[in-house]
Amino acid sequence: MSGFTPASNSVVVTLTTALALAPTAAFAVDYLSADEAAKLMFPQADRFEPRTLAFDAEQLQRLQAAGVSPRSARWQVRVAQRDGATLGYVVVDDVIGKFELITYAVGIGSDGAVRQVEVLSYRESHGHEIRLPAWRRQFVGKDASAPLRVGEDIANISGATLSCSHVTEGIKRIVTVIELARHAGSLA
Amino acid sequence: MTPGHNQSFTAREPAVLPSLRPSRIASVLVLAVAVTCAQGQTPTPTEAELARKLDQLAAELAAVKAQLATLQQQRAAQAAQSPGTAAQTAQAPASAASAPPGSAASAQPPAAPITAEAAAAGGPSTVLSGYAEINYNRPTQQTENAQADLRRFVLGMQHRFSPTTKMVGEIEVEHGVSSADDPGEVEIEQAYIEHQLGRTWGVRGGLFLIPAGLLNENHEPTAYYGVERNFVETAIIPTTWREGGVQFVGQFDNGITLQTGISTGFDINKWDATSTEGRESPLGSIHQEMALAKARDLSLFGAVNWRGMPGVLVGGSVFSGNATQGQVPTTSRVTLWDAHARWTPGRWDLSALYARGTISDTAALNAPLVGNPTLIPSAFDGYYVQGAYKVWSRQDYALSPFVRWERFNTGKSYADLGPGLTPPALPTETVWTAGANFQVTPGVVVKADYQWFSVNKNSNRFDLGLGWSF
Repeated sequence: MSGFTPASNSVVVTLTTALALAPTAAFAVDYLSADEAAKLMFPQADRFEPRTLAFDAEQLQRLQAAGVSPRSARWQVRVAQRDGATLGYVVVDDVIGKFELITYAVGIGSDGAVRQVEVLSYRESHGHEIRLPAWRRQFVGKDASAPLRVGEDIANISGATLSCSHVTEGIKRIVTVIELARHAGSLA
Repeated sequence: MTPGHNQSFTAREPAVLPSLRPSRIASVLVLAVAVTCAQGQTPTPTEAELARKLDQLAAELAAVKAQLATLQQQRAAQAAQSPGTAAQTAQAPASAASAPPGSAASAQPPAAPITAEAAAAGGPSTVLSGYAEINYNRPTQQTENAQADLRRFVLGMQHRFSPTTKMVGEIEVEHGVSSADDPGEVEIEQAYIEHQLGRTWGVRGGLFLIPAGLLNENHEPTAYYGVERNFVETAIIPTTWREGGVQFVGQFDNGITLQTGISTGFDINKWDATSTEGRESPLGSIHQEMALAKARDLSLFGAVNWRGMPGVLVGGSVFSGNATQGQVPTTSRVTLWDAHARWTPGRWDLSALYARGTISDTAALNAPLVGNPTLIPSAFDGYYVQGAYKVWSRQDYALSPFVRWERFNTGKSYADLGPGLTPPALPTETVWTAGANFQVTPGVVVKADYQWFSVNKNSNRFDLGLGWSF
């Protein structure tokens, strides 16, 4: 330690201070809870009714035909309501980015169009920009008839192609699932 | 799997499992057999009794085995949704992640957060990745130089110790075979710990890629156009360039990513004036890759990238440090900086980059090297502009032709050594590359292109490549 110059000492002190002052959140990458996201998407809702959508084989085939891999036959949806009237739906889902799970929520209006997308947790080293409002806003207003493909109607984030593609695929799947459920009357 | 399930399983586990341990069952059997043997060869009523008991035990064992299998299955199903378990494939959590909405169907409301919670706890702790490039180059003027090469085969591994701390590692084999008689190399491309300090800042320690240019940190074959990486980011920025040190990464809500740190740097003493390697890539010939790296002189680096608008990336980087490492009296500083931009509106993918490197006090270093073919340049630079357009896509297939124009000079200027001794600047090479990337499925790409060289016309070549990344 005697070899330390005042300059290197000050660097050490600065670094130590920086580390000491750093916030120590347990889940530094969790940004929102599903509850918070739902309230953010439908602030006027007085109730979020949990609903399970169960699809039969034929419906799953229709999803497949729509170019969407259904992944699960059962989906959990929160139906946003006010005075008993349906305002829309919130679905929370996870996709793999490159290495890690990305947790996100999609708010869909009663017309089937995306109202809002929120990223709840992001754990990858790159591509946190998918959290930025500008990127998420690209989905607003799109419904099951939109291409919802990176490099088509959704712009990529350089260096985070997989995260962008997988979240976009996930949103397409959710929008299509909700569309199917609306038509089947399961969300009435 | 709901938290409720979790608890009930954990609570039940100690009560059931101890009595089911295979080792205990084995002990009981061994004891039974030992007792049998101890009775000697003569059949006795006791022996018949024992045989009956043994049969009984065997039947019980079969039942226990079945029970154990069921438990193991349950445990495996649960492990797929909880952290800290053994390595799983990346696909496992994707399907597991889809399971919670269904399995949580009968759970207490609100059910949706369970998905998020399960996911937060459910990412696999260890994930394998990999990428590879297999290239064929055929110079059309000098077909005798045509070459096929397993350019690189890389295995990556990421292990998450905790929600805030992970290890990232990559091991690479170049040119297929590495031995004393073969041209291949085995190298560790990345080996670092990343620790998240808060929402904005994280810190990396170990061997990491330097944030420079567009390719260095994103160098997988699926991430760039053309069979070969562009010349500017090979000859000027020595992609894949890594150093050992400490790096802070700040990701801000305005779309700015800031990276800065202190690391090992170059070793100018490695310069081989008798070889042409320094002409191909001045910094590529003196980088140390943390192989017993001389580390008296450390370097500082920083990079700023803005991705605040979808499809837009604008950024720059700088890296600077002394490179004589105390081996010679001269102090020579190597500095490399770049500015880059990429814009991907719809089906377009447009990018541009400029990079420039300088090495100071080269006169003193070059003086004893005069007469050799490759002296140390005082400056080198390059730039490129590239445009690609996805003309066709169907399901996962996508065809994206591209054109790239680049100019680079690895010996743009040399320090003055006096008349007749100072080497002349090298001519600036211009390369046009035109071709296409064909995506077979996301992560797998077949590439073909043709490259025209303005100075080294004999190098004009046709390239064909297969690459993948996962």
